[in-house]
Amino acid sequence: MTIDLAGLIDDRPEDGVFRVDRAIFREPGIFDLEMRHIFEGGWVFLGLASQASAPHDFFTTHAGRVPVLITRDGDGQLHAFVNSCPHKGAQVAQTRAGNARLHVCPYHSWTFDSAGRNRGLKWQRAGCYSVAFNDGDHGLTPLPCFEEYRGFLFGSLVAAVPTLAEHLGGAARFLDFVVGQPDAGLELVPGAVTFTYDANWKLQLENCSDAYHFTSTHPSYVKIMERRQKGEGAVVVRSIWEQSQSWREDAEGIQGGSYSFEYGHVLNWGRIVPADTHPLYDHAEAIAARHGEAGRDWIFNMRNLTIFPNLQIAENASSQLRVIQPLDVGRTLMRTWCIAPKAESGTARHQRIRQYEDFFNPSGMATPDDTVAYESCQRGHASRVDPWLQGYARGMTASREGGNSLSEAIGAAPMRSVLADSQLCDETLYHNYYREWARRMAAAA
Amino acid sequence: MTAILSRSDAEDLLYREAALLDEGAWDEWLSLYTEDALFWMPAWRDENTPTSDPQSELSLIYYEGRRGLEDRVFRARSGQSVASHPRPRCLHCISNVRLIESADNSAEVASAFTVFLHDVRADRTHHFFGRYRHTLRHEEGLWRIARKHILLLNDTIPTVVDFYSI
Repeated sequence: MTIDLAGLIDDRPEDGVFRVDRAIFREPGIFDLEMRHIFEGGWVFLGLASQASAPHDFFTTHAGRVPVLITRDGDGQLHAFVNSCPHKGAQVAQTRAGNARLHVCPYHSWTFDSAGRNRGLKWQRAGCYSVAFNDGDHGLTPLPCFEEYRGFLFGSLVAAVPTLAEHLGGAARFLDFVVGQPDAGLELVPGAVTFTYDANWKLQLENCSDAYHFTSTHPSYVKIMERRQKGEGAVVVRSIWEQSQSWREDAEGIQGGSYSFEYGHVLNWGRIVPADTHPLYDHAEAIAARHGEAGRDWIFNMRNLTIFPNLQIAENASSQLRVIQPLDVGRTLMRTWCIAPKAESGTARHQRIRQYEDFFNPSGMATPDDTVAYESCQRGHASRVDPWLQGYARGMTASREGGNSLSEAIGAAPMRSVLADSQLCDETLYHNYYREWARRMAAAA
Repeated sequence: MTAILSRSDAEDLLYREAALLDEGAWDEWLSLYTEDALFWMPAWRDENTPTSDPQSELSLIYYEGRRGLEDRVFRARSGQSVASHPRPRCLHCISNVRLIESADNSAEVASAFTVFLHDVRADRTHHFFGRYRHTLRHEEGLWRIARKHILLLNDTIPTVVDFYSI
């Protein structure tokens, strides 16, 4: 089958039309191209520097389908390698994380130090190798690009990419708010949670930015919050949603909106007033001192940030870092962590963890309603009768070029922005995903 | 009057809990728990270590008090959770039951579980397996569950896991 990639995104702003063909969620051929040109053809998020904080610490991850090993060498320098022995291809690091001066390949014992240099090639002298072989490099293969932004590690399997600073652009301002709460840095709360769903990775990509689904998909969660407010449910698990207006249909005025940045990154947000159910409440003054009052308000707002294509940070009832790992056109693996400021008090951490479990876990009371809905969409995407999805039209007349007063107040410079009341629920922010998708996939055409 | 739990008493209770969960008799299931019951399914720190401090580490599920479980039952029955309806068909199989401690009016029981789940909507079957630790307390003439620790060994969750499938 030949795929007309350019014909899959119907993007005609002058006609007020933006439509996406269901085929992009369904076709294995498209998935293969996405892996090559998006996940294995540009910047992807790999992990946090704090996952390898001491000399010789390491952790393993993926860039697209490729296994990756991140190490910190004896001098404190971070490295990213393809986690595959140059000899026969086996993974030299077997575990998710650890500390090792030397990584010994379990297959033929080729040995590498934490800077990736080959420190031992078993029986080399007896090996009757050619001069050409002996003169070659037998170290681990570094990723062509590997950079850090404030503890967030990104890599690319191809060299021809913009610098990380250019890639992140204005979206970096919103990563700053993730790290600076208030200033002691960020850590992953012990206990990673992994789940799969049988649907395309872009359903997760979109859902994180989807304000429209909340009251439809999660009414049971909202009801639980109401029960708890009335003292009928679990009392220890209070939620920030008690103070939020953004999911209430009758809330008035500006309740949120969206920003779109170059290279496909988006932020959607909802207004949340600082309240004692927020784990950061005790730090509100320190945060204002560091980030200004506008910055403080942004930090307390519900914010869902996507760094295209695989990193999503959701800060609302708690704070989640998600990594999207596509497994197949109809199957996706999600690696998720609760992220928290290192300096947080025990009480605040407890509050953050309890809210996280109820809202974000696949064993909780919200995420399963999302993932089951993705699977339902995936089944629906079998249809070719009318291939065009109509889910990209809300906010079309509200979207404007550049930012607004709220982004200016914190010096963020988005390409496009939308200010929304509680019912607008912008869908134009997805345009940014699919314009970047189309730009990257154009290389395949 | 003191009560001492035997292994067959423990098995009766565990099998009854399993049957109530599988049959959707969740009010009766809740009544097996004490008011202050602790319900805890930890996450995993790494390949071999489950999280052990729910105050500073993440769990898959953690409730102090039966009301947390009541919330879960409420949601599953609310008709407003697409993940909960249609209800998957579940079968709990419990084995390897051991009496770890048995004292006056209290006991600790270890067991192994496998839950088979048939997701009717998606026409697929999942299974969950692991180990239970039940702390039981004799209250008002009955043995009730004061603490349940669920160590889920296959913790890559296939879309959904809920109280009725562990």
